[in-house]
Amino acid sequence: MTVPAAVLLAALVFAAASLARARAGIGSVRRPRYAAARGRESAGVRYAFSTAFLPWAKESASGHLATYLAGIAYHAGLFAMLARLVVTLLPVAVPRGLDRSLALLFGLALACGLGLLAKRLATPSLRALSLPDDAIANMLVDVALASAAGAALSPGAAPAFQLVGALLLLYAPLGKLRHMLFLVTSRRLWGQYYGRRGVRG
Amino acid sequence: MTVPALEVLTGGLEPRVAAFLESCVRCNLCAESCHVYLEDRDPASTPAAKVDRVARLYRRYRTWSGRVVPWLTGARSLTPAVLEDLKEAAFGRCTMCGRCTLNCAVGLDPAAVIGLARAMLVAAGKVPAGIQANVAAALETGNSMRIPPGEVLETVAWLEQDLRESTGDPTVSLPVDRPGRRVLYALNPREIKFFPLSIQAAGLLFHAAHESWTLTSTDFDITNYAYFACDRGAQAAISRKLLERAERLGVERLVVAECGHGYRSLRWEAPEVLGRRLPFEIVSFVEQLDEYVAGGRVTLDAARNRERVTLHDPCNLVRNGGVIEPQRRVLRRAAWDFVEMTPNREHAYCCGGGGGLLAASEYAARRVAAGRLKAEQIRRTGAKVVVTPCHNCIDQLLELNKHYELGVEIRTLAEVAADALIPTNHAG
Repeated sequence: MTVPAAVLLAALVFAAASLARARAGIGSVRRPRYAAARGRESAGVRYAFSTAFLPWAKESASGHLATYLAGIAYHAGLFAMLARLVVTLLPVAVPRGLDRSLALLFGLALACGLGLLAKRLATPSLRALSLPDDAIANMLVDVALASAAGAALSPGAAPAFQLVGALLLLYAPLGKLRHMLFLVTSRRLWGQYYGRRGVRG
Repeated sequence: MTVPALEVLTGGLEPRVAAFLESCVRCNLCAESCHVYLEDRDPASTPAAKVDRVARLYRRYRTWSGRVVPWLTGARSLTPAVLEDLKEAAFGRCTMCGRCTLNCAVGLDPAAVIGLARAMLVAAGKVPAGIQANVAAALETGNSMRIPPGEVLETVAWLEQDLRESTGDPTVSLPVDRPGRRVLYALNPREIKFFPLSIQAAGLLFHAAHESWTLTSTDFDITNYAYFACDRGAQAAISRKLLERAERLGVERLVVAECGHGYRSLRWEAPEVLGRRLPFEIVSFVEQLDEYVAGGRVTLDAARNRERVTLHDPCNLVRNGGVIEPQRRVLRRAAWDFVEMTPNREHAYCCGGGGGLLAASEYAARRVAAGRLKAEQIRRTGAKVVVTPCHNCIDQLLELNKHYELGVEIRTLAEVAADALIPTNHAG
């Protein structure tokens, strides 16, 4: 195993352990229910993870379509980048065609990430809300996406991708990137709430 | 002052609220879902900004990075000044209407986070005095307006007499404290003090439906200001009074008068805070009336209400209570010209008076200003009558009506339905 690969593996283990600890730290969100349900929680959860993602399902998306679509592309690129990062540790050969397609996705996600950062800095109400963590998290992801695109086009850049990826993973448990773990829980609770009350689902 | 508040955050934090605090990415896409922000355009009024006030404290006391590198995530310590800021955000800029929750791109519940802030403020003794006075009154006397049982009996007696005279039907009655009836109809104390016509209207409809029902002269109050304050202990104690009264009367169904938070706090929250299933069902009067109309027990003639009518959706009854269509079905039968506001149903804007704000006089100016959006919605419909199944919303809409010179009449669903009622022959 190369040194960059070893660093990446260590960072991966650190991130997984730290995030698991953070998740365990808040405790179980399950609780007994006593009020009679009007609708089904499961239907609300299905809605939360399907139709609720459609651009017209929420005002926050339909009213900010460009931002919403940029966010979707950014996160799609981020998840693909993380998957590609893990693959660099495995004895798996990624077809060149797939890598070229991924490079395109990473490039698009990078452009979206930079656009979202620019919007954050340029919009007064958003800037008022922003913290150093917002900029650092965004830029770390952007650099990782750029290095992922480089590695996808040129296999020789893989060690650099691994080191940048390791840095991203080491940062992940510290700030807003933790939401990757908690948003699934939050969204499930959101769906349960509206499903149970018969408002959604 | 800060220590008890901190204990709520460090010791009593609900896991689901912690998950919400961890999930907010400060994207601010929720901003325009908030009626307060839409009116004042102050960045401090966005739901994300309000959540962030709590999240910064959460990070300081509940995360490693918040303790070690607080500048990175904006973590801040709880001080008396921070508590003041929290109070201004949680009580002064939020009605907990949940419109931001419905529209959160991530799927978190900012209203639940504000609930945590309010619980911390309860512990710190910083609840607005008007809200706290109502909580104390309900705990001490069984209702938030300190109305003695004798006054309830007296009011109901003259309402009954008046009803008999106005309908010419000597069999109409407003029964009180009758055990063994199928339905207990529980009231908002404001009805007894200021809006007795809504009690008469409901009574007339129960009578028309041949319902076996009763009122209660004690522990009749459906309102729960401790629910607004997010004081779970007091909330449970207040709910318990009415629920135990219903159990003692042996009813099958508790019908909650037209009150959004009263419905939500009893129907959805009380079983949870009390930790038990109830031996009777709880429905809103809106659902009860819809059932009567659909089942043919009450017949309405829309021609008796010719003026244009619109409907305001109370947040706690509709978006957070799931009672969305019954009031519409009734209104289509009861009003000749019923038009919707836009947006409506679960997407409706808060009237601005929710979350206990009507009792917090220090925020009155902002409350009325935040209601402008609702006032303009009403004006655009061209309606002469605004129906809302919530006495809290009625108070705010009455004020908006005056302040924005809308020239409308604000009424409950029962009042409009009672005007459209085709009397049935009880002798047969």
